Amino acid sequence: MQPDPSRGRPDHDIAMWGAPGSGKTTLLAALYIALTKSGNGWKIVGSDPASSDYLVERTKDLLQGKVFPEASMALERYHWSLIGPPPRKTGFWNRKAKPGQPPRIGIGMIDAPGGLFGAGQRPAGGPSPQDGSGDPRRQELLDNLEHSRGIVFLFDPIREFTYGDAFDHMYPPLTRLAERMLAAGEFTDGKLPHHIAVCVTKFDDPRVLETAEARGLLTTDDDDPYRLPRVAGDDARELFHELCQVSATGSADMVLETLDQYFHPDRIRFFATSSIGFYVDRRARRFDWDDFQNMLPEEVDEDSRIRGQLHPINVVEPLLWLGQRLAAIRSAKGVS
Amino acid sequence: MPEPDRDLTRKAIAQALAGLADTGHLTVVEVAADGVTTFLLHRDGNGRPRGRSWPATWPDLAGEHGWDADPAAAREAVLRAARVHPSPADVILVAASADPRAERALDWLRAAHPAAQMLRGDAPTAALIREVMADDPLTRPYELVVLLADPGTGGLRLTGRRLFPIGSRPGARTRVALRCTEPGAHGTALAVVTWQGPEPRLLSLQSAPLAPGRYDVTAELVRPGRVRFTGLPALSPDHRDWERLVGSLPDRLPGRAGPAHLVCAVEICGADDQVAERLSRARQMISFASGELGDLLRVSLLAYAAHSFDPSAPEHPVRVAAWNADAGEALDALGELEEQGAVTRGYPYHPQAAQLEDALAAVAGRLGHTDPAPAVVLTVGGRPPHPPRTDRSRILPCPRRHDWRKLVAVLRQRPGTTLGAICDHAAGQAHPLWHELGATALAHLEAVDVRGLAADLGLTAPSPVHLPFPLLDETE
Repeated sequence: MQPDPSRGRPDHDIAMWGAPGSGKTTLLAALYIALTKSGNGWKIVGSDPASSDYLVERTKDLLQGKVFPEASMALERYHWSLIGPPPRKTGFWNRKAKPGQPPRIGIGMIDAPGGLFGAGQRPAGGPSPQDGSGDPRRQELLDNLEHSRGIVFLFDPIREFTYGDAFDHMYPPLTRLAERMLAAGEFTDGKLPHHIAVCVTKFDDPRVLETAEARGLLTTDDDDPYRLPRVAGDDARELFHELCQVSATGSADMVLETLDQYFHPDRIRFFATSSIGFYVDRRARRFDWDDFQNMLPEEVDEDSRIRGQLHPINVVEPLLWLGQRLAAIRSAKGVS
Repeated sequence: MPEPDRDLTRKAIAQALAGLADTGHLTVVEVAADGVTTFLLHRDGNGRPRGRSWPATWPDLAGEHGWDADPAAAREAVLRAARVHPSPADVILVAASADPRAERALDWLRAAHPAAQMLRGDAPTAALIREVMADDPLTRPYELVVLLADPGTGGLRLTGRRLFPIGSRPGARTRVALRCTEPGAHGTALAVVTWQGPEPRLLSLQSAPLAPGRYDVTAELVRPGRVRFTGLPALSPDHRDWERLVGSLPDRLPGRAGPAHLVCAVEICGADDQVAERLSRARQMISFASGELGDLLRVSLLAYAAHSFDPSAPEHPVRVAAWNADAGEALDALGELEEQGAVTRGYPYHPQAAQLEDALAAVAGRLGHTDPAPAVVLTVGGRPPHPPRTDRSRILPCPRRHDWRKLVAVLRQRPGTTLGAICDHAAGQAHPLWHELGATALAHLEAVDVRGLAADLGLTAPSPVHLPFPLLDETE
């Protein structure tokens, strides 16, 4: 990983969004590992030294088996670029192909202690959580969302089961975003212009996997040597819906309804994601239903640890889907 | 030289008394120089002869008009004084004087009771009757109430030990071997009963504070209704209610201290002080049980820690520090564990669970089902076991896939196996397995009543129980 040698704004800005502890930083760190393992030519680079350092440190920690603390301790504002393989332009008369301009997807992430919009996290005497202009951090998140056209929204079903606050973190900024887009004339079809990849995180947790298994949503990829279970794209929405049923507050169902309310159906896609993946025994090299937990329970005052090798699941896919969809739109606009 | 009349009279009365039925009465009327005395004899519920007498002098019988002035009244008075029982009764008339008034009275009595036996005698009839009653042979068997213990179950049964058969006379003796347990506040009761029909009837009840042990007792029939016991401390009359006395009898004898196998499985991972505390509790239990049971105690000691979930860190398997050893050897092995202290602390050893399921597998495997010796499995620790496969507990599965539920079931179904536990946590916070491991007794590590726990697990010598009656010693 190195700072982006090329200059200029990335092709498509994607905003990372989710409640604190939903796994945004872990997902980004796993992204580097997943890209490297996939060998598809994509790589992630920082857009500035701070973002590069952040990614390097987190990736290093993850590779050493240490999972990040659940909550950010300070305001975090980072930008990276996902750079794809350059297209090969075949020369006329079979002359040597020349590399074209590589695709670039910009990724931005804003995070802060306790989140920005969560219930009960509002500063005393401060502005209303509905008022995005009052708090500069909220302002920054909204700016990030407004200027992006792709959103990676992380939904942590375990956190939802425990706290049930996903809706609290989602609804206020979404209404402010809609307000801004309406003012900017970009609410043309009654929906936000954004694409959103809803990542149901912690797919490796036994509770999530069991839920998917109980609903018959699991499949395996024939090309996967480990035969890791996965949830196909079309079924991930059903998994999300199923997991919403055990929300601590019962408000998770409204997350799904709100997504449908603000985003065009064609612009929503669900992914069952795991940054660390399932444990696979090094000797057996095959997923074992009796022993798949990759997270070691934490000791008191210590962070959680990862037990075995990382096998990220659906970490690259949401970003590439967003990148492909945004590229297609850009291309269509260019043609028109 | 026996006096012929006296002997005849005595014999006649004795015969009449011997033939006296349970509901019958014998009337003996002595007509003497000073008046008429009536003796009424019968048998009580125990077949023992009982008698009463009513003396009447001649002036009493003559009335206010005198013997000659109103002979009819005098006759009536004499017949009334005879008090012959209205029911069929034997009547014996004893003429003890040649006084004219006596002769006349005898005539009236003979006329009124023509079937009456007529005897002549000079000896005081009262003394004769006392002699006859004291020498009366038993009409019912006498038995001593004793306890019989079932050798298998220790169940207790009340029964009677025959002392004297029917026909026994005073002076008869019999020997009986008795065994007494710890005396209670009222001592041990020696109850003699008679038998008439299916139910015994209490004849006498005496008691004494008899020290535990065996007694060779001689019972002597002093007279009907009176049995003297020798070979025992002095007995005192016991006035306890019979029903309550029998009601105080326990169902069975306390279990004998038999051989016991104490299997201690101790968790040796976690904080040093906590491991030391667990080992200390195990030491206390072994020492206490050894003091109670002595050589009858065998001890096994296992130590288990946490699983490693990193191939680079060695796994410390369950350690069998002692197996079926005497208490001294086990305590030596425990000392080594105390010296070693906690193991497998920190990463990569599991921070929240322990190899409890492996320890159970080791215990179940070694005890087996064929070994008939009773065993007490005492687990000392606090962490939950590893599940056999990944589950919602988020505790990683046992590398050997041992299933703690099945292993506990194996131990619970093993005959003669008792499960006890000393848990780091109070019962409300303990993993469900700890409730199963402590099925018989579950103690909290911070507050272990060692004596109480040992008693609950059957690791103490049996407490003395008081038996209200002596046990029949059948070893004789």
